[in-house]
Amino acid sequence: MALNGAEVDDFSWEPPTEAETKVLQARRERQDRISRLMGDYLLRGYRMLGETCAECGTILLQDKQRKIYCVACQELDSDVDKDNPALNAQAALSQAREHQLASATEPPSGSRLTAQPPVPRPEHCEGAAAGLKAAQGPPPPTVPPDADAVACTQTALLQKLTWASAELGSSASLETSIQLCGLIRACAEALHSLKQLQH
Amino acid sequence: MAVVGSVKTALQVAEVLEAIVSRCVGPEGRQVLCTKPTGEVLLSRDGGRLLEALHLDHPIARIIVACVSSHLKKTGDGAKTFVIFLCHLLRGLRAITEKEKDSLISENIQTFERCWKNCCQWKFICQALLTFQTQILDGIMDQYLSRHFLSIFSSSAKERTLCRSSLELLLEAYFCGRVGRNNHKFISQLMCNFFFKSTISDSRLEVFELVDDCFVELNVSVTGLPVSDSRIIDGLVLHRDFSVYCPADGDMRVAIVRETIQPLFSTSGSEFVLNSEAQFQTSQIWIMERTKSIMKHLRSQNVRLLLSSVKQPDLVIYYARLNGISVVDCLSSEEISLIQRIISLSPFVLPQASLQCEISNPALVKFCKPLILRSKRYVHLGLMSTCTFAPHCIILCGPVQGLIEQHENALHGAFKMLRQLFKDFDLNYVKKSNDQNDTLSPHVKNNDELEKNQYLQAHSNLVVSDAELETYIPCSTPKLLPTDTVQTDETWRCLPPENKKINDDYELLIESNSSSNPITENTRIETYCENLQVTNIAGKESTLPMKYKSLDTHISQSYCSSSVPAGCVLPVGGSFEILLHYYLLNYAKKCQQLQEIMVSKLIASALLGIPKILYKPKKGNHNFPQIYLRALHALQTNQPIISCQAGLESVIGKYHLLTSVLQCLTKILTVDLIINIKRQPQKSCDQDSEDELQH
Repeated sequence: MALNGAEVDDFSWEPPTEAETKVLQARRERQDRISRLMGDYLLRGYRMLGETCAECGTILLQDKQRKIYCVACQELDSDVDKDNPALNAQAALSQAREHQLASATEPPSGSRLTAQPPVPRPEHCEGAAAGLKAAQGPPPPTVPPDADAVACTQTALLQKLTWASAELGSSASLETSIQLCGLIRACAEALHSLKQLQH
Repeated sequence: MAVVGSVKTALQVAEVLEAIVSRCVGPEGRQVLCTKPTGEVLLSRDGGRLLEALHLDHPIARIIVACVSSHLKKTGDGAKTFVIFLCHLLRGLRAITEKEKDSLISENIQTFERCWKNCCQWKFICQALLTFQTQILDGIMDQYLSRHFLSIFSSSAKERTLCRSSLELLLEAYFCGRVGRNNHKFISQLMCNFFFKSTISDSRLEVFELVDDCFVELNVSVTGLPVSDSRIIDGLVLHRDFSVYCPADGDMRVAIVRETIQPLFSTSGSEFVLNSEAQFQTSQIWIMERTKSIMKHLRSQNVRLLLSSVKQPDLVIYYARLNGISVVDCLSSEEISLIQRIISLSPFVLPQASLQCEISNPALVKFCKPLILRSKRYVHLGLMSTCTFAPHCIILCGPVQGLIEQHENALHGAFKMLRQLFKDFDLNYVKKSNDQNDTLSPHVKNNDELEKNQYLQAHSNLVVSDAELETYIPCSTPKLLPTDTVQTDETWRCLPPENKKINDDYELLIESNSSSNPITENTRIETYCENLQVTNIAGKESTLPMKYKSLDTHISQSYCSSSVPAGCVLPVGGSFEILLHYYLLNYAKKCQQLQEIMVSKLIASALLGIPKILYKPKKGNHNFPQIYLRALHALQTNQPIISCQAGLESVIGKYHLLTSVLQCLTKILTVDLIINIKRQPQKSCDQDSEDELQH
């Protein structure tokens, strides 16, 4: 019981470690962000339901079209997402750098550079593309550009380009079209820098 | 689907509401735009309206909003502070109870035993909170906080005169958080004007009660004009137009009718049997003659105005015009009752037989004329009031209806707040004191003296001894103070440097306080000595069994009662919260019961959340930590606390807020299980009981 046993607990309670403090801080900030977003939605006319989300336990909202919406799952990135290279340019960059460092000591193998996660979501593809571009930007000093690696990258990029143009032709939403155009531009720029690398 | 009610869910809900409300709290708060589910847009800073405009299906959210609404109905103030304080209390509770659990384990895993243990734990905590509120909080208010209270009155002997400047400070601080920045000074001036014009004598409480009850009838809204066109007019404005208007001069009498003057063919429940055309015509002629004679009779009594709550038929209107009587019909029953209240007139009952009777007590009316505002016509009545309220009406102008409604609600809330402020408020608490004596009578004597001292201390806000005055106000004599010394020496009196007039008023306040010292002090001691005896007797009887216990444990409990006199105020900006926080922590240090320590600490830390949010936009020397440290230092060294904000707030309002939040919290915590149902259960029990009564 909290009120009776507090005295005993005081003696055995230790302050949280730094890692724990960081986690607690991150959790609190996330909770604050969720509350603010939910407040915004409520002011926009959304309805606060009496149910909670099965995955994260946040209270669900319902919009005027009677669609159920969970703020945390659908809008807020989770804590783990920032380490996922498919979704974050920074993470992709750091992963690519790690690979380069590893390949500097060992004989380069072209498959490493193309070992990106298979099908990232369209709107987050920019992250991967940007990461790829940044990784390719500063040329590694000691490792000569492997023709096979470059060719594989080119094919991958061309594949992505064709897929994106097919999607663009069939998309009806403005947002998706804008994002697909961005993707196509990024792929074209990547191809261009790859060509420069070859020459 | 059943959901386990827990602090976690309640905290989530409260945090969301807090996120909405904290944007518009305080003088620095901004307007919040809310889209209602119907598509309308609401732009407001009023916490109560915002919360009610949200579409909330979550049961705990609805409990919170219902508590806020009922609190606002009574006190008119504090919706946003309510939510913020509730949220902080829930956070504190969660922190206490999470110390036990491992915070990194997922909380979704709940076994039955753990669930049950949780429910018992919350009930125990609720009990502790309620006990604290009923027994100890009042004591802390009385014994410690009361020495910091200021009074809005400038007292001189028995009369307590209200100076306009202190009322203005109070109202400006109130409207600052509710009305847009460009309008709040104007609205507070408007309200001050209305108050001083409508109050005849010192009977302010009756005026506030009347205005609060009938606020809708006492104001008229006009759209399409700038806000600065709002004004106060003498007399009463009825929200109807004349059916017949006959201008008249001089004093005239008014009669109120609740039924049609023209007699009907038959009354309900009786039959009218027609045998021939001639009979019908005779009846009609009789009706006409009767109406004519009634109207003539009224005219002979000098009744020139007829106020009717029903629609009068054309015949009555015709004869009224012939006789020169103005008629206003279809008035709402609230307006009629307001008029009756003001001029104490009973409705005119149609005489059944002869017309020789005198109309009893027809009231006099100074004038009645049509009033045209924009394109609407109203009736403007000048009444001779028999009660303490001199009738005046507020004409509220605004470019759009929404803004007018905002101002209307703010004014209504202000009247509610003043109504609470001008009432004496009773405090009841349990006083525990350690005593070394064994016999009964010395017990009582010691308590006597202790309590007497406390009463003197408690009511010293108006009756301040000279020595104490000196410590409070070091610069009581000079009027024109240079700006920098005012800043540093500004005590609770909060003198704005550029206004010499207000300085004069405050000086008057101080001087009248010291001069009235001996008289009021004596009367107060007399009255409270009587009270003392009464409570002591009661205390004796009720604490006799406890005194036996106390022979062993040396702790005696006595039930004390005291009161917060009307008109107690404190400076704005979190002074009440910081003071209560300090004294609660002190109490927790001295107290020995574990429950009370936990509850005091919980409430004390939650209280600080309010000034933190209020001072968030400020930087540098005026941010919250600086203010807090300065206040603490002043309290510890017994110096007067310097406040840099001019503005006052009602102590009773804050106290009511605190108790309402604790009640709401206990309501939330005692929810064990929430069950969703699709339809409301049918209310068939009422009909059954009616049937039983008939049979």
